[in-house]
Amino acid sequence: MGIMSRIHTGPRQWTDEDDSLPPDSWGRAPSVRRALPWGFVLVVALLVVGRFALAPHLASPALQTWATIFVAICVQALPFLVFGVALSAAITAFVPASFWTRALPRRPAAAVPVAGMAGAVLPGCECASVPVASGLMARGVTPAAALAFLLASPAINPIVLVATAVAFPGQPLMVAARFGASLVVAVLVGWLWLRFGRSDWLRIPSRPHGEGSKLAVFGDAMRHDLLHAGGFLIVGGLAAATLNVLVPREWLTAVAQVPWLAVLVMALLAVLLSICSEADAFVAASMTAFSPTAKLAFLVVGPMVDLKLIALQVGTFGRAFAARFVPLTFVLAVAVSALSGWLLL
Amino acid sequence: MNRLSQNLILVLLGGAVLRISAFSTTYLNYVKPGFRPFLIGAGAVLLVLGLTGLVQAWRAKEGAGDGHAPAGGPPAGGNGHDDPAGDGGGRGQGHGHGHGHGGPRIAWLMCLPVFAIFLIAPPALGSFAAARSDDPPPRRSQALTAFTPLDGKGPVDMKISEFIARAWDDEKKSLTGRTVRLTGFAVPSRKPGRWYLTRMQLACCAADAFPLKVLVKGVEAPPADTWVEVTGTWIPPTFEKMPNGAVHPELSATGLVEIDAPAEPYED
Repeated sequence: MGIMSRIHTGPRQWTDEDDSLPPDSWGRAPSVRRALPWGFVLVVALLVVGRFALAPHLASPALQTWATIFVAICVQALPFLVFGVALSAAITAFVPASFWTRALPRRPAAAVPVAGMAGAVLPGCECASVPVASGLMARGVTPAAALAFLLASPAINPIVLVATAVAFPGQPLMVAARFGASLVVAVLVGWLWLRFGRSDWLRIPSRPHGEGSKLAVFGDAMRHDLLHAGGFLIVGGLAAATLNVLVPREWLTAVAQVPWLAVLVMALLAVLLSICSEADAFVAASMTAFSPTAKLAFLVVGPMVDLKLIALQVGTFGRAFAARFVPLTFVLAVAVSALSGWLLL
Repeated sequence: MNRLSQNLILVLLGGAVLRISAFSTTYLNYVKPGFRPFLIGAGAVLLVLGLTGLVQAWRAKEGAGDGHAPAGGPPAGGNGHDDPAGDGGGRGQGHGHGHGHGGPRIAWLMCLPVFAIFLIAPPALGSFAAARSDDPPPRRSQALTAFTPLDGKGPVDMKISEFIARAWDDEKKSLTGRTVRLTGFAVPSRKPGRWYLTRMQLACCAADAFPLKVLVKGVEAPPADTWVEVTGTWIPPTFEKMPNGAVHPELSATGLVEIDAPAEPYED
């Protein structure tokens, strides 16, 4: 360690001595490229140029309708996203870890439904649910309960339910169906994992450490979640606007009229679009051609299985885990939401 | 993407949202009027987050220039928990602590609404959207079972939704022989000699809007998307049962006045 500190000076400190490798920044000098945000300069330049050169040409009714729908979804969902991220960042920053080990019952079979219900009061964006669950496991919570929480908290927390109520006015059963179906899936997956899961499938990460003051952790968690979730929300808005304007209505109604196909298509769309659960209700509501059951499938599958979550789970818990967890969750989510939709909607 | 870009994106998006909600009424083209305070709040939060992040990044640069590592500020985009992926695709490694992987590339997409707002300035939904969906509007759950009788003389100002409800659901046929004045925009019809007076109604936001249409006969069709006030009387339907498909109540128009597009284009 002494030799190293003589060779490298300035901001290059090997602060984390648990790690066997030195920090990335030792390898190369910080490039001048990173000093100026060139990407951002390009964005502003495009905006200015576009305002004067392009704006008169962007006046076709189809493009304007597409843009209206796109901006409407983004703008409508944004306050819910911001509030949800703020609450979940607050929990990450301010709730001590010991709270969890004290609050859950000892018997794993009982801890699973309690952890699932805890998702109803503790908002967790999908982006946060995987790290939070891995943190729980690292602190000794039984993995099945942590997994139940991982699935439940993005799906049934109060922000999501309010957003669903706002997106489907006059349809309280949609909110109830989302809550019920998601909770059932989370608890079922937890119990199944308890019964059939093997510990060598799950790679429990080492204990994470927080850095900086609580307020700094809060602000950084918010920025991090907003940037991740915001990008995917925009993708969802783009897809919904395109489906609404470009795809001929007849195609949509043709798919929507075959019940099992509609449910499956919406479930797969939910996996592809990876929208944050606080915002997906608005995208689902915009798909007016589809039946309520198909929209319910979109809402139940989305917070539990999507490309972003799969990537996070592979990265945090390992491939062996994801290869079993993802198909199980997807199949259960589709089945339970189809059943709930048939019963309630 | 480095910290500077991340925070600048937040500032840009927050600024755009504030521009359409706090400093103008453009937001009414996209969402319901009651949503304004939430939009302003969200825009302000984004702006504040971005600005404080910029200040932190600037301070960190100053600190690093003095020769010691920045204190208190966690590395770009990370906080103290596992965070492997987020870019479209994602990297499959777990990191034990958040060291700077920068922000996710997908966050650049958050500039798109800003582009849309400033370059395209999307207007309220008009005849293109109204012509696309010919589905009958979903029945509102709060159906008026008792319609108040229309007394008095002179034309009655009425919302299109009320006109449609009275046309189909009123057993006492309160519209018979009564002059009404309706406001909406013009949507052309494929058949000659008639056009639709339309207003869009929102379930939640502009993405799930559906059209409320009244078939107008008797005056010449104004250009599509023109906002007008039409005065006329209801033409009772000649069929006994409601036919399948989209049917619209008919109005025999006697007068037409062009008006400015209202600030609140959607009917509540």
